[in-house]
Order: sequence, then structure tokens, then C-alpha cells
Amino acid sequence: MNAALTTTGAEVLARGVTKRFGVRGQPVTVLDDVDLRIAPGEFVSVIGPSGCGKSTLLRIIAGLLDADEGSVAINGEAVPQAIRHKAMGLVPQTPALLPWRSVRDNVLLPTQVNTAANAGRNLLDVDELLTSFGLGKDLRKYPRQLSGGMQQRVAIARAFVFDPPVLLMDEPFSALDEITRDQQRLGLLDFWQSNRRSVMFITHSVPEAILLSDRVVLMAARPGRIAEITEIDLPRPRDESVFLSPQFREYEIRIREGLRRVMKNAQD
Amino acid sequence: MPRTEKASSMTMELEQTRRPRAEKAAGKPVKSAVPKVSAWARWRFGLWVPPLVTFVALGIAWEYVAHSNPFVIPPLGNIAESITNDPSAYWNNLLVTLKEVAVGGGAAIVLGYLLAVLMCEFKILERALMPVVMVIMVTPVIAIAPALVVAFGFGMLPKYIVTIIVAIFPILINSLAGLRAVDPGTLDVLRVVDASRWEIFWRLRFPGSMPYFFAGLRIAIPFAIIGAAVAEFVAAGEAAGLGAMVSIAASQANLEVTWAGISMFCVLGLLFVAALTLLRRRILWWDNHGRAPK
Repeated sequence: MNAALTTTGAEVLARGVTKRFGVRGQPVTVLDDVDLRIAPGEFVSVIGPSGCGKSTLLRIIAGLLDADEGSVAINGEAVPQAIRHKAMGLVPQTPALLPWRSVRDNVLLPTQVNTAANAGRNLLDVDELLTSFGLGKDLRKYPRQLSGGMQQRVAIARAFVFDPPVLLMDEPFSALDEITRDQQRLGLLDFWQSNRRSVMFITHSVPEAILLSDRVVLMAARPGRIAEITEIDLPRPRDESVFLSPQFREYEIRIREGLRRVMKNAQD
Repeated sequence: MPRTEKASSMTMELEQTRRPRAEKAAGKPVKSAVPKVSAWARWRFGLWVPPLVTFVALGIAWEYVAHSNPFVIPPLGNIAESITNDPSAYWNNLLVTLKEVAVGGGAAIVLGYLLAVLMCEFKILERALMPVVMVIMVTPVIAIAPALVVAFGFGMLPKYIVTIIVAIFPILINSLAGLRAVDPGTLDVLRVVDASRWEIFWRLRFPGSMPYFFAGLRIAIPFAIIGAAVAEFVAAGEAAGLGAMVSIAASQANLEVTWAGISMFCVLGLLFVAALTLLRRRILWWDNHGRAPK
């Protein structure tokens, strides 16, 4: 891997983030006083039932939505400044590739806008990046010629290409079938372990969260809040074999119990 | 892997039976990823024979009616003769109408798209202008045209205006829908890196709106021809253009000239639509009407 890639990510610090939406005149608190810190180079997964506000939290950190109360800072900087410096890369739920651009040109897209923020930055070599994503033969293909899993890999490469210290991933594998998903998870794990950045990763899958993360944040709904945080103390670099370890099983049981508690409380 | 081999040889066979003879004889390898349909393949039997049969049947029916009722429609031969007897008259009138369609339609395309961009970027403009657009759109152009001729005289200007009025709406409405229908995921990806409005327009909205824009063109071009014809009809005092020619000939019960003029309109429309189809194939190869190029 490129030696310059050893730099780690930035700190993401959300404090007292509160967001309300009006639903038919009734204000609904989607996020209630949420505090979250992602250390530089830390991989944090956020998991929780639908409606717990995990996507809303990600959108607020990404600057796509404003919080009603509270603040978000990226390495001590407010979100609008961080955005201006291209400090964050986003992987949306769907690949969202442009059908008229080749794979290579789709990945290059973020480097072609706001070019002022490219100065002094370590733009990755696209061909090398895509090759390490297993897409070396598909550089000139168009998105429609790729499978869903390959398309999502292109979308992840697009977030990594301008080497942002923070990556925000909103259920990137949720639209894939289970076998493809496993393959993509391990691919991402592999790539991230040799290119550590701060990651906020939203998911619905407990094993996925444990496999990838340093910490798993469990959120509860109505109002959306952080219920508990589990440190995943599995040795790195990890690979498929962690699925078989007894600690993995323990983490899975603990987080699933937490999920059950959170769901039960929501029903009461 | 015997199974895969069998499967692929079966697709080979299928591909080959479907492929044109010329290529099969040459023994070219079958590339199935993005098959290039040759001009010859598009002329397969099932494609061109049915419409040909329809046209021949219509022609026979036409000739039958024309010969038994010569005062309803003229025989096709007489129409052709009328054109070959005085080609320059038809040619000159065709050029006048062509100019109206080109100038009026061209202005409608440019103005319609620009207006759509402005309405997309500044919502207040849409609020301000869309009601006016609706009012004009629901008013029949045939009712507006005489008033415009009174206002602007018999020159080319009222004809351009009528053509613009008819052709601008499909462009405006479709382009606006297209500019708005961009993938929200891509929009988010661009916003997180602080892409400017111009960058979002140029990299995302403009290319993304093209399929909608072309769908608008497909409606707008025949509309532009209608606009030109209507304008010429109501300003028949000035005997120029195919519309004026048809209108005058019909009032004199000159069936050959009437139908020759109509057929010119027809050819004009077909040429424009054919050119548009070719242009679309060049520019929107990636859209393919939403189908995957597999």
C-alpha cells in the first residue's frame, strides 16, 4: 500500500444533538440529546431499530441536515468548514453512480468538484484503488454492466478516492444479497485495515457490526437516543475466522440482547 | 466446469441464430456483453414486412377510393405529378415552413430549457411563472394565432411566436422534471464535498435531464410544425409556406395541390423525427430507454 496512506482519520464529536420533525403538527423527537465521539481512525457502527434516528444522525454529521440543538465538530471544526475542506466521504445506501460515466470517471467525480480543496491533498491513484477493490478489469465499463456488489464497491471507492479523514457509510450493503454482502464486508474490512480512517457505519446486521467495528453503538427509538455502546475487543487485523471465535459469539449475544431490550421498551 | 460450458455453448447457438448472416459467415467471435446491432440486423424480416404490408394496403385502399370518388381524394399519381410539374413552388414553400419550424422550434428549445434551469435553481421563479405557463398552455393556439397576426402583422414574427408558444411547453415541463429527478444519493455525495450549484448542475443535473429533454423534443418538434402550419393558416393573406399553400388550394378545391402540400408536411415531420432519433442514439447511448445494454 501507498506509504502516504498511513495517516489516520479525524475526530468526529457530536454533542447534545437534538432533532425534531413535525409530523401532522405533532413534533416528533427523532434525536434526543445524542453524544457520540469517533476517535481518529476508529471504526464505529451504529445499529438500532428503524426509526431510531441513526440515518438522521449521519445526515447531521454529513451536513446534509441541520440539528435543532447541539453541535458537531470534525477535528474541532464546524461541519460547514469540514465540508469545504472535503473532510468527509459519503457512501449512500444505493450506489448512486452516474450511468453516463465509466467506473473510473464515477470514482473520480468527487475530485472534479470543489477542486480548491484538492490542494495539498493525497488523491489516491484511481486505477490502483479500483484494482485493490477487485475492479481492475472494469475501469472502462459502465455501471449497468456491473453487478450490484461491484457497483457498491465503486461507490465505496468513490468515497475513498480523495482520501477524506472521515467516512460516513449509510447501510452500504443493505441492498445486496447475503452472499455478496459477506464478500463486500470482508473486502471493506481488508481495505480499511490497511487505510485506517474514522468511519461511521450504519447497519442493521449485528455480525457485520462486530466484524468491522472497534465500537458498536446501539440506538433506541422514540425518542432516538444512544442506549448502549459495546467495545469490540477482537484483535486486528481481523478476517473471516473471527466469526468462529467464542468472543464473537459473546458479543453477538450481548448486542442482540440489547436490541431486544430496546425493541421491548419501545413497545411498552 | 461442464455445466457452464454447456450453458455458454447454448447461448452461443442462440446468439448465432439471431445474428445476421453476414457476420456469421465471417466467423466473428460472439461478444454478448454489449451486442452492437448492425444496420442489417435492424432490417430483419419481422421488423419491416408488417409496416410495409400496412402501407401497401393503405395505398390500395386510397387508390380505390380516389378512383371511385375523384372529388374526395385525388389518386396518388396525380399528387406526385403535381409536385414534379412545379417542384420549385413546393420547394420554396417548404423552405419557408422549414425556416419557421427551425427558428421558432429552435428558440422554443433554447428558451424552454433555460427557463427550466432557472425554475429548478430558483424555486421562486417557478412559483411566479408556472401559473402563467399553465394559462397559456391550456389556451388553444388556434385561438391565439389570429390575435398575434393582428398584433404583429403578416411577417415572419407572428409565425415564430406561435411556433414558440406551442413547442416550448413540452421542453419546459419535461426538462424541469428531468433536472429535478436526479439520484438523491449522488446529490448527497456531491453536497458532502461542497460541490457548487454550478458543479452540481454541470456534472449531475444537466446530463441527468437529457433523457427527459429528448422526450420533450419528441413532442415539441411535431408541435412546432403544427404551430407553423396554424400560423400560416390564419395569416393566409401572405401566400407563403406549406400551410398557406394547403389552405389556399383547399379553398379552391384543388385537391392535388392540397394533398401534395400535406405530404410535404408529412415528409418534414418524418425527417425531423428521424434526425432526432439518430441524435438521441448518439447522445443518450447510456440511457437506452431504461433498459440495460446487456
